[in-house]
Amino acid sequence: MSRIRSNYAMQVSPFLRWVGEGQLEEIHLATLEVLENTGIRVDHADALQLLRDAGCIVKDENIVRIPSWLVEECIRLAPRKIVVANRKGERVMPLEKNRTYFGTGSDLPFTVDFETGERRRSTKQDVELAARVMDYLPNYDFVMSYAIASEQMAAASDLHQFEGMVTNTVKPMIVTAHDERNMRAQLEMASLVVGGREKLRQNPFLILYSEPISPLVHTVDGIGKMFACFEYGVPVVYTPGILSGATTPVTKAGTIVLMNAEALAGVVMAQLKQKGAPIIIGGGATPMDMRTTTTLYGAPETSMNYAVMTQLSQYYGIPNFTEAGCVNAPVPDAQAGMEASISILMAQLMGANLVHDIGYLEGGKTGSLTFLTMCNEFMDAARYMGAGTRIDHATMAVDVIKEVGVGGNFVTHTHTFENFRQEIWTPKLSNRSFWDKWEEQGSKTMEQKAAEWTKEILAAHQPEALPDSVCAGMKEIIAEIER
Amino acid sequence: MNSFGNMAEAVIAGDFETVKKMTQTMIDEQVDPIAIINQGLMAGMNVVGVRFKAGDMFVPEVMMSARAMSTGIELVKPLIADTNMPSAGKVVIGTVKGDLHDIGKKLVVMMLESAGFQVVDLGVDQAPADFVKAVQEHNPHVVGMSALLTTTMLKMKDTVDALKEAGLRDKVKVIVGGAPVNRSFAEQIGADGFASDAATATDLCKTLAQ
Repeated sequence: MSRIRSNYAMQVSPFLRWVGEGQLEEIHLATLEVLENTGIRVDHADALQLLRDAGCIVKDENIVRIPSWLVEECIRLAPRKIVVANRKGERVMPLEKNRTYFGTGSDLPFTVDFETGERRRSTKQDVELAARVMDYLPNYDFVMSYAIASEQMAAASDLHQFEGMVTNTVKPMIVTAHDERNMRAQLEMASLVVGGREKLRQNPFLILYSEPISPLVHTVDGIGKMFACFEYGVPVVYTPGILSGATTPVTKAGTIVLMNAEALAGVVMAQLKQKGAPIIIGGGATPMDMRTTTTLYGAPETSMNYAVMTQLSQYYGIPNFTEAGCVNAPVPDAQAGMEASISILMAQLMGANLVHDIGYLEGGKTGSLTFLTMCNEFMDAARYMGAGTRIDHATMAVDVIKEVGVGGNFVTHTHTFENFRQEIWTPKLSNRSFWDKWEEQGSKTMEQKAAEWTKEILAAHQPEALPDSVCAGMKEIIAEIER
Repeated sequence: MNSFGNMAEAVIAGDFETVKKMTQTMIDEQVDPIAIINQGLMAGMNVVGVRFKAGDMFVPEVMMSARAMSTGIELVKPLIADTNMPSAGKVVIGTVKGDLHDIGKKLVVMMLESAGFQVVDLGVDQAPADFVKAVQEHNPHVVGMSALLTTTMLKMKDTVDALKEAGLRDKVKVIVGGAPVNRSFAEQIGADGFASDAATATDLCKTLAQ
């Protein structure tokens, strides 16, 4: 007896597509038109020269018109696969089509103090604590600084943030830098951590997040930092953060076209600088709230934009950077839960690569360790769903149904025992008790339970330490910049 | 009176074509140009301000109303001596040195203009000396600074200090804003006010320019 069935197609994980191939091509062609006809502004001298030499038309005020063929040529040169390692050189995060990784974002100016509950300016310790918590929580695949080390000397606050992260987690990280000089300092610190520039180039554990400014402005710092990273073989996210209706058209399609033009301009400059330079496209496609002018991260349209942009990056074969789990709610309440879960699930189902800003409150201005921990659970649920429904002989359980028979029960059957952990997701923090039991256990909300878990993690989890000599070396580099 | 009411309604609706026509008709009928501004154009804009604050109107609608109002003002302006031009006050504004992000500041500029302020927008990447020079030149009621980055935010204090050194600090009110800025920071650097968004900044300027 054979169970083989001819012409049998299995869909192992859910298949979510937001738009069709023809629509992606429309966006692509519209983007080419923007780059070729409106052009971009490039303030970086080296980049400007590269573009001119490659055949772009450069006009006054550094306006560069990029011909379509050059954009398409550079898309082909950009790598389809970028492997990011952890601090120990293990190649844990291959950025490949439909592989989704979650992490938080960088540079929150304010933090809800974990001890006092007071909202105050962020410090280096907030960076360290967040990195430690994320080092422990399994659904964070990479880290970003979360907070700004704002009590440190401003000229080196980015370096302090890198130090705060790298001494508190082994996970891959995405960094920000004030300018090219500070980026180079961070790259030297990173080389120290892994034991030399060659090792860093072979298995980079950090990615730079650099930005153009919408609409269509490419700055000296933004490009300078990017080019410095390519010298070290370090991948770069070069993507805009925008406000639909203010810095881009209000329409979703117009927003995507403009952002795509900005990201692809980055791809062109990257590939002209160095063939095969590891560049990541995407960005934060957030509308402006037309009542309050705030940035809408936790909004349905934001996730809709990311869906199209993720498909677009897959169409190009270039890894992408997007965002989820960043909410407009000021506190981790029901609104925060809705905003975070919808966006996280969407990112997972679309197969976005680097999904950052997880665990942000107040539209990307305020951090909270408790919310960071809560989001671990939302990601867990999204990943569970993303893994899909198992349909095969064993899971359809026809034999088991026969065995148990009409009117029987399945709870005592070995089939249940063997499969329940995989078939029924077990959350860590969600309340699922009957009311009386919940009261008996202290009537705790999910937020309270998350705070307790965070406290336990902070008390018990010690991240793998770096050698003292490396720590001392990093401090010297920071001191040099502060001098 | 009724025609002023209709003009105000057209401003509220953001119907700049109608506002233009009505203004021209009133000018042809020799209506007092200052009355056209105060009782027609600004009267409409004042309603817009109230509705926006109540959440009944949205930013693009406010912008269109402001555009309608200025269409009318452009027509009557040549008929009024500069010194008689109704104004809520004068504001010099810019994004501080090292910062090229200016959408927030642009929103403030547009809101201020729509509230009848005369605004001198210095643009982005402005050093303390640039602010000092602009204050000397334009003699504003208020000088506003914006920053998106925490690193550039610190330049705001340098500007306040530069204004002090130039002996201008008592002559002008200083306000600050931008994502990383908060009230305690504003107090710390010796600014007169802080606003978290464009509408609040406009209210703040109204208070400070009195």
